[in-house]
Amino acid sequence: MSGHYFRLNLYHRILHGMVIFSFLGLAVTGLPLKYAGSGWGVWLSHALGGPFTTGYLHRFFAVVTFLYFALHLGYVARLVLERRPGVFWGPDSMVPQLHDAVQLVQHMRYFVGLGPRPRFGRWAYWEKFDYWAVFWGVSIIGGSGLLLWFPTFFARYLPGWIFNIAIIIHSDEALLAVGFIFTVHFFNVHLRPEKFPMDPVIFTGRVHEDEFRAEHPAEYERLKDAGRLELFAADPPPRWLLNFSRVVGFSSLAIGTILIWLIIATALR
Amino acid sequence: MPSPVTWALGVAACLLALAAVPAAAAPAPAAPKSDDCLMCHSDKDLKRSKPVSGRPDSLFVDGAALKASAHGGFECVACHTTGTAPHEALPRVRCADCHDDVRATLAGGAHGRPATVAGKPAPACTSCHGVHDVKRAAAMSIDTCGGCHARQVGLYRDSVHGRERARGGSEAATCRSCHGPAHALRARTDPQAPTYHLNLPRTCAQCHADSELARRHNITVGNVYQLYMDSIHGRAVSKSGLLVAANCSDCHGAHEIQPRTAPTSRVYRANIPATCGGCHAGVRHDYAESVHGLAVAKGDPRAPVCTDCHSAHQIRRTEAAPWQLEVIRECGTCHAESLKTYRDTFHGKVTALGFTRVAKCADCHGSHRILPPADQRSTVAASNILGTCRQCHASATWKFTEFHPHADPADRVRFPKLYWTWLAMTALLIGTFGFFGLHTALWLPRSLWERLRRRRNGGES
Repeated sequence: MSGHYFRLNLYHRILHGMVIFSFLGLAVTGLPLKYAGSGWGVWLSHALGGPFTTGYLHRFFAVVTFLYFALHLGYVARLVLERRPGVFWGPDSMVPQLHDAVQLVQHMRYFVGLGPRPRFGRWAYWEKFDYWAVFWGVSIIGGSGLLLWFPTFFARYLPGWIFNIAIIIHSDEALLAVGFIFTVHFFNVHLRPEKFPMDPVIFTGRVHEDEFRAEHPAEYERLKDAGRLELFAADPPPRWLLNFSRVVGFSSLAIGTILIWLIIATALR
Repeated sequence: MPSPVTWALGVAACLLALAAVPAAAAPAPAAPKSDDCLMCHSDKDLKRSKPVSGRPDSLFVDGAALKASAHGGFECVACHTTGTAPHEALPRVRCADCHDDVRATLAGGAHGRPATVAGKPAPACTSCHGVHDVKRAAAMSIDTCGGCHARQVGLYRDSVHGRERARGGSEAATCRSCHGPAHALRARTDPQAPTYHLNLPRTCAQCHADSELARRHNITVGNVYQLYMDSIHGRAVSKSGLLVAANCSDCHGAHEIQPRTAPTSRVYRANIPATCGGCHAGVRHDYAESVHGLAVAKGDPRAPVCTDCHSAHQIRRTEAAPWQLEVIRECGTCHAESLKTYRDTFHGKVTALGFTRVAKCADCHGSHRILPPADQRSTVAASNILGTCRQCHASATWKFTEFHPHADPADRVRFPKLYWTWLAMTALLIGTFGFFGLHTALWLPRSLWERLRRRRNGGES
């Protein structure tokens, strides 16, 4: 039998859609300020209405970010309240485990031809890293961003130099996030030759059986052995959804690639 | 109506007059030649019988000078029309009898005024052209003007224009270049005068709007006129007609103009505060107290004077965004470190993007009266800083003022907390990108190989 299986449910996909939307929005409205000294920074800022308009938009996208963060915490809380097993440990969990470290080493050995490809479960180690990077990033960038959003309020309780710290952290952590997503995440998920030019699973939620077995063999075997595989059986992604995936996906990839190219070009200048 | 008797008397008088003219002319001898006149007037000791107010006592005439003069070809009677030999006192010579056009030109001008003004006698033709040694305009020089205007000519001779002339430069301005031809010359209080306050820029521009001329004479600012006319001063003069707005001579002087490299120049660096302060007295007072003013007074050549921030000829409204943004860079030409750290903050980035609705240098430090933080009067003194922040951040607290607007995270001694934060963040970035850079660099060829292998195997993994 050769068909499709659900890898991500609708809630996952909507939340990741919010991540894409707000992350690109934050990057496009934030980077012109960080790179105010460069020609493209000035151009982009003016194109978007100047620093006060981009500042307003940046706060809007920040609210979207806080919203998806809260929605995700709510989702996790629901799983916990429903006593769903395996939230904090096991093959379904996002929590890093020993086998992730082992697979990282195995994967690196595989890169240089010293061993076979590790048999990844539902979440490979780089996928867990991306997940926790968002957790870390939203807390750090969001926290420092809030300080800078309401300086006089926070200065009632905190010394003013905290804003100097917040500027450094917000700026550098944002560079880390943008740099990571637009290079490493893009490569790992979309641009590496096996996936090139993009993997639409984040939009369609569906993965083809062949790819399922190739990319997540341990998960495939586990579900099959437990007789639960058919619970995830899916129809092929409808054409409109594939088209939607391509439009949104390629647009996002293009925005990210342009931004990272500008950042690198500025750094090398 | 006149009575018949009056009519009769009138007609009789007219007839008598007509008869008398030929009767008087007929017995007159032939008009004397100049040599006849000089028989007496070549005597150097010849004097009037009784002195006449305002005229010389000597009646000596230098025959040789007369011969060599513009009027050398004329007999004495050409001017002294009623002269006979010998004769009694003659009426005043009227140059206008021949030079009638000049009289019209003179009328209304400063040199044509009829009476003594401010103790200076009304000038006569002879004041400039001489009496018998009549000079042509071309033969006259600045000395002619100096006859009355000795102080101005003295200043001029030592000026950049006068010295260039003395060196033989033919392009440097003389009296006439600015004041116009002598007969039509008008006082600078006269709205028609080329030296009138509102007309002077155009007058100077006859030469100083010419970039070629500027190049020939090593004048650094070739488009000075255009710059000035676009400036706040130039617009006030040319558009608003303000007599109080600076024109060229308000800053450079008039007769005494010196190059700005000369310590006596009004626009010499150290003299600029006094020159601008001539009008901007309040600003000068503030500036004199400031760190900049004190440094200039001590002779520090690096300390800024008015023109360093405001420029010389392109002075603009300080409320306008372009100037406000440029002056930040200007502060940075000396305070490079402060500008660099300012650019790290939101304030500095917004201004770098071309917007002014954030704190700029002057918003915190003041502009003319910049004082060091140690000075209790300073806007950034510890006791005043909260008020300064509250200009924009109305609900700022004392804790708020602990923000460092000029922090350098690389400075471990002054900003240890920032230094360690910066170091940790840098390590995080280098670590993450280093590891995943390697990860990607290794994965890429492997993934490429994997894809090619799958294609060779017909899509099977």
